[in-house]
Amino acid sequence: MTRLLAPLLVLILLAASALVADRPLPRADLVILNRGEVSTLDATQMSWLQDFRVAVMLFDGLSRYDLDSPDLTPIPALASSWDISPDATTYTFHLRDAVWSNGDAITSRDFVYSWRRSLLPENAADYAKLFQLIKGGREFYAWRTRALADFAAGSYPDRDAAALSLWNQTLAEFDRVVGLRAPDDHTLIVELERPTPYFLDVVSFVAFAPQHPASVRAHERLDPRTGAMVTSPGWTQPGSLVSSGAFTLEAWRFKRDMRLARNPRYWDAASISIRSIAIPVIADANAQVLAFRSGAVDWTSDITPGYRGELVRQKSLFDAEHAPVIARLRAQGLSAAQVDEALPADPRNHVHAFPSFGTYFYNFNCRPSLASGLPNPFADARVRRAFAMCVDKAALTRSIRRIGEPEAATLIPPGSIARYASPAGLPFDPPAARALLGQAGYPQGEGLPTIELLYNSEGEHDQIAQATAKIWERELGVDVRLVRKEVRTFREDVKSGRFMISRASWFGDYGDPTTFLDICRTGDGNNDRGYTSPEYDRLLDEAARELDPARRFELLSRAESLLVEKDLPLLPLFHYSQLYMYDPRRVRGVSAHPRQVQYLHRVRLEASP
Amino acid sequence: MMRFVLRRLAQVPLTLLAIYTLTVLLAWAVPGNPLENPEGPQPPPEAVEAMKARYNLDSTWRFYWSYLDGASGVGALRDALAGRDRTGPIFDLGPSLQYRDQTVGGIISQSLPVSISIGAAAILIALVLGLAIGIAGALRPGGWLDHLTLSFAMLGVSVPAFVVGTVLLMVAGSWLGLAVVGRWGTPQGLLFPALTLGLPYAAYVARLSREGMLEALASDYVRTARAKGLSPSRVVLVHALRNALLPVVTFLGPACAGAMTGSFVVESIFALPGLGQHFVAAVQNKDLFLIIGVVMTFSAMLVLFNLAVEVMYRWIDPRTVRE
Repeated sequence: MTRLLAPLLVLILLAASALVADRPLPRADLVILNRGEVSTLDATQMSWLQDFRVAVMLFDGLSRYDLDSPDLTPIPALASSWDISPDATTYTFHLRDAVWSNGDAITSRDFVYSWRRSLLPENAADYAKLFQLIKGGREFYAWRTRALADFAAGSYPDRDAAALSLWNQTLAEFDRVVGLRAPDDHTLIVELERPTPYFLDVVSFVAFAPQHPASVRAHERLDPRTGAMVTSPGWTQPGSLVSSGAFTLEAWRFKRDMRLARNPRYWDAASISIRSIAIPVIADANAQVLAFRSGAVDWTSDITPGYRGELVRQKSLFDAEHAPVIARLRAQGLSAAQVDEALPADPRNHVHAFPSFGTYFYNFNCRPSLASGLPNPFADARVRRAFAMCVDKAALTRSIRRIGEPEAATLIPPGSIARYASPAGLPFDPPAARALLGQAGYPQGEGLPTIELLYNSEGEHDQIAQATAKIWERELGVDVRLVRKEVRTFREDVKSGRFMISRASWFGDYGDPTTFLDICRTGDGNNDRGYTSPEYDRLLDEAARELDPARRFELLSRAESLLVEKDLPLLPLFHYSQLYMYDPRRVRGVSAHPRQVQYLHRVRLEASP
Repeated sequence: MMRFVLRRLAQVPLTLLAIYTLTVLLAWAVPGNPLENPEGPQPPPEAVEAMKARYNLDSTWRFYWSYLDGASGVGALRDALAGRDRTGPIFDLGPSLQYRDQTVGGIISQSLPVSISIGAAAILIALVLGLAIGIAGALRPGGWLDHLTLSFAMLGVSVPAFVVGTVLLMVAGSWLGLAVVGRWGTPQGLLFPALTLGLPYAAYVARLSREGMLEALASDYVRTARAKGLSPSRVVLVHALRNALLPVVTFLGPACAGAMTGSFVVESIFALPGLGQHFVAAVQNKDLFLIIGVVMTFSAMLVLFNLAVEVMYRWIDPRTVRE
């Protein structure tokens, strides 16, 4: 019988090992909840908001945004100054004496190395297009793509040697065609394809921060089959990651937590008061709110819909009580976040809804025929306008979203880009919509096939789709079928044009209207609508050549009015708000700017009263 | 015994190969492109093709062999024989396609120990609780204790884990004032999830041991033992228990594998960093390498635990050894 005790003993040891091996760490100075687990800390690979939020703590670029300025003015970071040629095509950056977290000097060559990685097609950088603003970037990208295809198809006696020779050729080609030069360790000269007045803004985006070449190279290898330079994961792990920013990566336990510690070698270390940051992952939406309320977490975003409505209602009651003070503070030019900081302590004031740099909309398929081969009624702009004009957007945000988000008449959130005048958009006018539909040959919706509205199953898309479908059925007399799909299948359908109307959203990346408008350009990789308008493309091209900023914005505004007043390849529904929870008496200096860039490592912590 | 174990071990790779083949075919059929962020900017199509080629996602056949080559250690062996430098691990389970900075090997080695700990605690609870009430019930069949234990078994099997977990969460949080969510590494952070996970297993063990015990108690050798004048406790705990345990031991193999590879429900309720969450998330993200990784981990554990059960069989009941 004693033999039976052996397995029991093993079980006891296994169970107890958890208590010994996994002691919880002490609380960090600042604890924030991110949207989800970070996908990557390699700036070339990033495209998720949660990745960017952490990346800005670890990596400094040439410049960063001044979060207190109305247009997020770029201010010096690793570059102490820069010169811009009069035609805005050559930018010369002067780097300061800064070092990586391991003590190596940060040189202009590190930037050339890092930006080249983003221009290598094998890295499939989501933001490769931004790097193609650099002269020759597009050409180099296309050249390398072709070369890799030829290599994969070709036969070589020694593929390893052939891949190496192709790589050396690639480096030479890069130096030959791309307008990126490092004449000395402290100078970086960037030549652009055409005048790009917003290039400093782009450079401040963390995707342009450098990576530490030596540590990345240690994980790079040439693949003899495809000829590609493959980077294996590993250099972004704690212990290996060399950072250029205010913090270093102490620990990263997958889907558990991340811990950052202040980087003593950071050039601007004096401005950082926080010593440690913890970023736990809590998957359950209710548990996130509870964690904040219990004081275990200082800052969180993306509050679950179940809590959202009530929290925002309580906040508006609080705001109503302090309306005169708020009005006075706003008149002094304080931002929404600064106003919240000045109000008396109250748990109702722990939720904050700030406008954000994104829009929720529906795509109309603009292709002449549907994927099924049937004629597409939405190829006619009048039908698209009719569908757009009868949607009561205010009702959608009021009854479904319930957090006071502004209804959208435009693609670009008005006021998010300084000095850009948004077009008015189409009015809410059901009778006019019915008349338009009649003109298009479908009086009272007669002759229209069943309209399919495609959306993905996550979030509140379901309720929004149901409400919109009801409106169309009531106002236009059409039949609407809701098609709900899992997000990856949904994505495949949208990408290959298998839809009539589909849900979509877009968030801007940099402070220029083109960050939104480019997605409707003919042939753009993000033009899911299949929209083609020579006039629209011409306006964008003309704006790209225009040197006068005011005139340029006017051209872009005309292009946007084409989208939202005449052609309607998309139907804007509302502009997103960003919801945060934090105690404004304790966490100070959170940005309320619509671009929703946050440097959470730069907030000031004050003892809770 | 040694020969038996070796023969069984030799069969393991074949079993795993069959499971691997089936998994690749099924995972391949999941729609969607794992390399794509469903929202936000899209890389150009040529770049997506290049990425697919990089991970061998452009051909099922090539993917099948290259993964097998890396994961089985054959690739590392070949490199070692050819004298090539190799940076990756010997058994390379590939990268995660959704979480680009993680390797599947890294993900599993971080989360499997957590799941094993909870699973081991759950099985312990199941054994102690289940055997106690199973045997207690069998001693007086039809008595009130028997009815009570039978209803416990029924309840334990039929109440789902998300109900038990939520109730325990309320008990711990509201009545005992203990924080249990996300408290991995503390005693209460282990106890409550293990209870949630262990209760259904306890119910099974109770039923199996009750049946086994009833049968054993009615057999001739137990009557003989009693006739010899042995004390009732000795008869039950030494003579009858040995046979009554056989069905429980059979059940333990798959139960251990199941409990120690994580439970999605229990991990979500208590915010635990275990392996179970990856089963669901990997499929949602079509994270091919991770799907294969977790399925193969589960299968390997199942096969090994079943082998361990057969070994235990021979310990408990030497009659089963008939070579």
